[in-house]
Amino acid sequence: MDKLNLLLSQSGFANLTIGPLSMIVVGLVLIFLAIRKGFEPLLLLPIGFGAILVNIPEAGMYAAPVYDAQGHLVAAGGLLYYVYHIGIESGVFPLLIFMGVGAMTDFGPMLANPKTLFLGAAAQFGIFGTIIGAVWMSSMGWMDFSLTDAAAIGIIGGADGPTSIFIASRLAPELLGAIAVAAYSYMALVPLIQPPIMRLLTTKKERAITMTQLRVVSKREKIIFPLLVLVLVALFLPSATPLLGMFCFGNLMRESGVVDRLSDTAQNALMNTVTIFLGLAVGSKLSAEAFLNVETLGILLLGLGAFCVGTMTGLLMAKLMNIFSKTPINPLIGSAGVSAVPMAARVSNKVGLEANNQNFLLMHAMGPNVAGVIGSAVAAGVLLAYLG
Amino acid sequence: MSNLMMNGLELMLLGMGTVFVFLTVLVIGTFVMSRLIMLAPGNPEPESKRAGRSGRDDLSEVAAVAAAVKAVHGR
Repeated sequence: MDKLNLLLSQSGFANLTIGPLSMIVVGLVLIFLAIRKGFEPLLLLPIGFGAILVNIPEAGMYAAPVYDAQGHLVAAGGLLYYVYHIGIESGVFPLLIFMGVGAMTDFGPMLANPKTLFLGAAAQFGIFGTIIGAVWMSSMGWMDFSLTDAAAIGIIGGADGPTSIFIASRLAPELLGAIAVAAYSYMALVPLIQPPIMRLLTTKKERAITMTQLRVVSKREKIIFPLLVLVLVALFLPSATPLLGMFCFGNLMRESGVVDRLSDTAQNALMNTVTIFLGLAVGSKLSAEAFLNVETLGILLLGLGAFCVGTMTGLLMAKLMNIFSKTPINPLIGSAGVSAVPMAARVSNKVGLEANNQNFLLMHAMGPNVAGVIGSAVAAGVLLAYLG
Repeated sequence: MSNLMMNGLELMLLGMGTVFVFLTVLVIGTFVMSRLIMLAPGNPEPESKRAGRSGRDDLSEVAAVAAAVKAVHGR
């Protein structure tokens, strides 16, 4: 009977409290969104499952290892504990993902029209505008965000998953779960968030502007470009080196054409492996005490604001450039500057086709789109240099 | 205005400033690089043409196989 009591006392029924139970529901909702709605399933499914695993009482998935006084291991830690500390706390996983993203990125459209880099810069206002929003909420007494918390929330506006996770793990690890969930959810919602803003800020005539065909970019340019970025980062903003360095490394593997095997691994096998563990580890940060509070609500609101503001400033910058540019620039490509590759570029293309069914903006929008990745990594570097 | 807000505004100005300066330098650098490469002798051809040729090779292979099959079965 004692043994049975012991078993019962360790069962889920005996230990489940309302907090972990709600987080299991949150995990199920994320899994539902991933499977049924197709929201960034590659990330939201592992995150949702990680959230469930970590909230199962007595399972010890996130238990820290126990050592005795002599430093001998008494009890090993839980799987998610190790995955989180090895992969995310160290910053290794987001950087490996960034290498894969670099290996998947074609800078051709951007090299053909380097001016589009300015659109990627303008859209980063979403990051810094959101930081202001977050500190404003704190100064009004609604939330309790420090400046580093605000910066980690603002980076959601970079619309770049690995960058958000990297910065959050550096600046505000306790907010990481909410920030990652917000970043990936809104990236999935880009096709819903952006079009109304795009239609609001542009006239039909502007949306129908056709752009001149892009020139062909030589292989040499594509090989030298990542090295150029790396040199500039080293000279101007060394704090952005982890992100942009790995990004340029991945891109050089792709464009050099001599290490196709490595490039293929970085883009596929390694990227997929890391994505699994990254998702689980992010999910492991979705504990009741860290997630079920008013700050999470603030983060979700601010993240949405970040996407909207970034979209707006990108569009406005494109309108401005269209006035001064010799060749016409369709303002719709500006919204792709928020990154969210390649979703945002597809949205620009789609909205452009609505106004003029002969107007294919996809390649033109890929320029600001990849510029946005560089822009948000630079912004991340500034945040790390200023606050890290 | 609170100290926190001032810090936030400062971070915004600094951040957007850095992003724009960095990307401006990158735009200039990219222009210069492309110009230099285009001036450099022995500019390799863009790769796109090769793909087209291999496609045609495949077709001629298919045609040869079809002809052979027809010849064998026609007998």
